[in-house]
Amino acid sequence: MKPSVSYLAAIWTILRKDIQVEWRGRQGVPVMLVFALTIVFLFNFALQLSPDLQAGLAAGLLWVSLAFASTLGLNRGISLERENNALDGLLLAPMDRSAIFFGKALGNFCFTGLVGLVLLPVFSLFYPQNMLRLPLVLVMLLGLGAYTSLGTLLSALSIQARTRDVLLPVLLYPLALPILIAAVEASRGVLTGQSLGDVSSWIYLLLAGILLFNAGGLLFFETILEE
Amino acid sequence: MNVAKKPSLLVILDILTVLFMSAVLVLTWFFTPVEAVMGPVQKVFYFHISAAWGGMLSFILGAIAGAGYLRSRRLGWDSLSLASIEVGLVFALIAILSGMIWARPIWNTWWVWDPRLTTTAIMALIYLAYFILRGGLSTPEARARLGAVYAILAVLTVPLTFFSIRLFRTIHPVVIATGGGQGSAFNMTPRMLTALFASLLAFTILLADLVWHRFRLAQLQNPLSEEEN
Repeated sequence: MKPSVSYLAAIWTILRKDIQVEWRGRQGVPVMLVFALTIVFLFNFALQLSPDLQAGLAAGLLWVSLAFASTLGLNRGISLERENNALDGLLLAPMDRSAIFFGKALGNFCFTGLVGLVLLPVFSLFYPQNMLRLPLVLVMLLGLGAYTSLGTLLSALSIQARTRDVLLPVLLYPLALPILIAAVEASRGVLTGQSLGDVSSWIYLLLAGILLFNAGGLLFFETILEE
Repeated sequence: MNVAKKPSLLVILDILTVLFMSAVLVLTWFFTPVEAVMGPVQKVFYFHISAAWGGMLSFILGAIAGAGYLRSRRLGWDSLSLASIEVGLVFALIAILSGMIWARPIWNTWWVWDPRLTTTAIMALIYLAYFILRGGLSTPEARARLGAVYAILAVLTVPLTFFSIRLFRTIHPVVIATGGGQGSAFNMTPRMLTALFASLLAFTILLADLVWHRFRLAQLQNPLSEEEN
């Protein structure tokens, strides 16, 4: 079958649709933000963090809250398509199905990235670490890029199971571990004053993750969504 | 094809497995020297390495069989994939447990948060999740299709995980040195090496035997589970 819309146009249409839904409903980003902040407060008491939080702990806290909060957004992103059988409509559209993956993954990336960008100054308020630094922002976006690509792929798997919402974290966290390790280590390095070049091996690991999981989406998304 | 009848080749493999595994037991007990510093507990090493090897091999086989299913769409491939991953998980757990038995006297603790131990445990979690995923799917076709995709994804992330360990410091002993070490690449006496290779071979045969049995079980279950849905 020859696609009647260009590949990029299809991706853009899906991305735009998701942004529009989010803008009108505001049910993703605010929920993730509140959840991420709750986790920060929870950890603050559970781990008895001192006010002069060390860089290592700050990086870990940032990523734990981002990883947990993103799961909400990823679940939301795919269950949105389940409601009213919107997914069937997407599948019927005359386009390559991997375009759906890239559209959804980009949408998830934008929303979690936004959450991260709001979290950084909030962290800087609560703890005496200036987190709003360009290298850290870069590391965060790379890490989230890899994480949300994998998450989008797995959310399409988990949505088909009876245990759908509960399943995603169980599938996602162990598989995302190398990404989270690399992201935490790179963030820690950057926060302790190292340059991006000093943490380059972690950066490469994140880039490898982005490549691998997007290739996975390109290859497998069609198979996953097949009825 | 009559699936219910046990193939004679499998019977031969059963016998071979028993012979080889007993031979390895005898080798480890009587043939290998007692390690100078660690004492007899070091002997768990032969089973530890072999189980870890078997687990890895099995997970790779599971992914290959998964790819086979996605290409051919025949449930037989899925049975093979499921069988490999299930047996692989058991082997991985044996590797972890035997490692803990060794670690208790040597490191004076059952568990350390060493990256290699941690990532092996994570690998076990990844494959535990495989069964949770399959359990949540209601048709054999969906179990096969999504299981295959997950098995392939899992195998692809494992090297990433192992690479991420290499960047950490690790206290786990390195048995096979990479790069220019002095002398032999293996840090062992010839007798230890013989026992190790014998054990690797025996575990590979055990693995093949168990996977085959589990495969047959899955094949016998397939028509039943189709009736159920």
